[in-house]
Amino acid sequence: MTRSSGTSGRLAAAARWFLSKFLGAVFVLWAVTTLIFFGIRMIPGDPAEAILGGPGSQASAAALAQVRADYGLDQPLVAQYFGQLARLVQGDLGNSYSLRLPVASLLGEQLPATLTLAVLSLILAWVVALGLATWSTLAGRGASIVSSGLEIVGAAVPHFWLASVLILLFSINLGWLPPVNTGSAEGLILPVVTLALPLAGFLGQVMRESMLNATTSPFALSARARSETEGGVLFRHSLRHAAIPGIALSGWAFGSLISGAVVVETIFARPGLGRTLLSAVTLRDIPLVTGVALVSALAYVLVMALSDVAERVADPRVRAS
Amino acid sequence: MSTHFKSSSARFSTAVGAVSVAALLLAGCSSAEPQDGQSGQTPVSGGELVYASGDAEPTCLDPHVGGNYPQALVSTQYLEPLVSLNSDGEIIPWLATSWEEAEDGLSWTITVRDDVKFTDGTPLNAEAVKANIEHLKDPETASSTGFLALAKVKSTEIVSEDTIRLNLSQPDSALLESLSQPWLAIESPAALERPKEENCEAPVGTGPFIVDEWVKQNSITLVRNEDYNSPPADAAHEGPAYLESITWRFIPDSASRYAALQSGEVDVIDNAQPDTIASAEKNEDIEHLDAPRPGASNRIELNSSKAPFNDPLVREAFIHSANVDAGISSLFFDAAERSHSALSSVEELGYADPELFTYDPEEANRLLDEAGWDKRDSKGYRVKDGQQLSLEFPVSTNQSIPAEVSLFEQIQATAKEVGFKIDLNLLDLSSWYGALAENNYDLVSAPYTKVGPDVLRILYHSDGIVPAPSGYFANLSQVDNAELDKLLTQASQETDPDQRAALYEDAQKLILEGYYVLPLYDQQNHFLYRSSVEGLRALPTVSTPTFYDVWLNR
Repeated sequence: MTRSSGTSGRLAAAARWFLSKFLGAVFVLWAVTTLIFFGIRMIPGDPAEAILGGPGSQASAAALAQVRADYGLDQPLVAQYFGQLARLVQGDLGNSYSLRLPVASLLGEQLPATLTLAVLSLILAWVVALGLATWSTLAGRGASIVSSGLEIVGAAVPHFWLASVLILLFSINLGWLPPVNTGSAEGLILPVVTLALPLAGFLGQVMRESMLNATTSPFALSARARSETEGGVLFRHSLRHAAIPGIALSGWAFGSLISGAVVVETIFARPGLGRTLLSAVTLRDIPLVTGVALVSALAYVLVMALSDVAERVADPRVRAS
Repeated sequence: MSTHFKSSSARFSTAVGAVSVAALLLAGCSSAEPQDGQSGQTPVSGGELVYASGDAEPTCLDPHVGGNYPQALVSTQYLEPLVSLNSDGEIIPWLATSWEEAEDGLSWTITVRDDVKFTDGTPLNAEAVKANIEHLKDPETASSTGFLALAKVKSTEIVSEDTIRLNLSQPDSALLESLSQPWLAIESPAALERPKEENCEAPVGTGPFIVDEWVKQNSITLVRNEDYNSPPADAAHEGPAYLESITWRFIPDSASRYAALQSGEVDVIDNAQPDTIASAEKNEDIEHLDAPRPGASNRIELNSSKAPFNDPLVREAFIHSANVDAGISSLFFDAAERSHSALSSVEELGYADPELFTYDPEEANRLLDEAGWDKRDSKGYRVKDGQQLSLEFPVSTNQSIPAEVSLFEQIQATAKEVGFKIDLNLLDLSSWYGALAENNYDLVSAPYTKVGPDVLRILYHSDGIVPAPSGYFANLSQVDNAELDKLLTQASQETDPDQRAALYEDAQKLILEGYYVLPLYDQQNHFLYRSSVEGLRALPTVSTPTFYDVWLNR
């Protein structure tokens, strides 16, 4: 009796949680669409002119009129906005102005490259951050100072600078790795490292802090009293503590990776959402900008939900509350 | 005092030319230079070349649509125009074998080759040319560059299988120059009938390469046209190209592009920046091709439609206040040469007058005093009737490279010394168009590439002040001078070469002596390539490189 009511209570809680996440996601997606739609029009300039090729080519009146009619740019702004919302609700992302292709298929082509980059960078950042945290916990104060220094530097360097330094070192001086995308796995190394190091700096700072706290906390003391080894304390207890803030930050981290992809994909000449976004903004390609933003927002919402779940699994305190 | 490019002081320059040719012959007599390549080896067929462009990826590979430089760069490899130019600026045959202007200048008869086929098998003939002209003039194509170039073409008439007549509304002395541009290249009429999207993906021409695949946001693959038989009259060989294929990539970041060239990941890069050119000079694996674009020089236009530049004295003062030479030599590492002309140095009819553009702050101060701007505020800027002498300078970061932006900052600094306040606004392209459309500028720099001096009519005829529906207009200095209009219109109709040259010279004098423009340098167009790339040259039309004669010496 108590058991079944407990299960249905938990189910109801889960359903409530799911519903709130879902509504939150819908709100985020609507807000993104609206902000982009009006934001891009606040910037002066005529998308029709940009569609016709920009520098050096002067659009004739007839060509501009044709383009405006083709892309519905001659309609009132409000009509364009609701038209776009209606199409989006039906799952139609429209056609890119600049690439003359359906936005959905463009995103489908570009998404895997960016996801690969972001996921690999997130994994590498985790490995580096946990490594530094573990090292400074096990190896004492000196290691702690060194890793803390590395983390601050890592977190502070901008992507474009790091990318240039890595290219100079590993491509031009040592000749080990290609400076631009080659389609091979080798070509992924420098972009992944560029994205991962600053992130590892951020994650490392919080992870090291909570790992150090955990090793000096009462439960670690009692574990030691149960004659656990230092390594056992670390891997069975402290690691989990270190991971919790890392998990909580990973949703945010994923978002920052997507924005970092704009810089990294441009510098390493990789295909992907970031590079697509940059050229789409320059060309005032509203459907494509909206599409990239929606996909990124959706990915962000999903990863946030996942990190929420993971946090619940890793941390009994969150579950209890 | 004035100097001409090549034309009027021809006797002198010919003498200089003869001496330098003799010197070259003496220097080169130990290794006689063969026609096929710089290395003296027999060209080898085969291999794949990787080209990396710093330009934005085109949105359509058919240069009839829109019509900008990135399209011209890639389409030069697979599409060919009716005529070309040789390095002396003379029209030479390409797909067309002969052409003739009617007595009254109101029609041109053009005969095309009868043995050329498009790569889809469609034959090249008068019908094909007609279909292309109609395609360019069709509003649905949304052509801008090609459309403008054909403005005077009223109708076409098929005379025979291979001969077409173009009927004009007015005589057009620039017609052949216009037709030599890659934006007016001839495509297969059968391919043009496909939907626009399809034709944009893979246009079909007669060129030495064929568009095989275009992976958006990544690369374009071009493969050799095995049946190629239509090189321009000045090509170095006949038959198919040496290269088997070209991979056309887009690497927007200048440093990565150069790094990719250094590491051998790519063979040729464009948009080489002054710092990388300087670094490449020291690298023996890398060669430099400097191919200034034709048409207008890169120049700062002074907006004469409103205060303070509606006063010629203030325009003259600004020009003498700008220390351009020092900026160019420090920022461009000698990769760019100062221009004193409204036209590119590759334009035969360019007229230059260095005396007008001297850096002379004393004279600038005197002129400003004379113009009534004789007081200064606490910051040292000049004032008149409570108004500060301030200038809006919107800069398009898509068009001005970083070194150019730095040059503008130096001009800002030297102009400040005589009391000009310049507000430099770095804008993206669309915002920049917006600022111009609102007449919210006093200074502006805008490139314009076109073959021949008729570009002057586009840039300085008062018709060019009338904005297009987008608000954009080409006459950015807003010169409105009836005498100049008349000269430019006459020149555009005058087919006698000497008369035409004289008219353009008078027109350029009016523009330069009116202090409407501050010329800086030619429109920069630098390519760097691995020394294993042999036989690379830029077409003398709009300076796009052609890979037809290129072979890999690996």
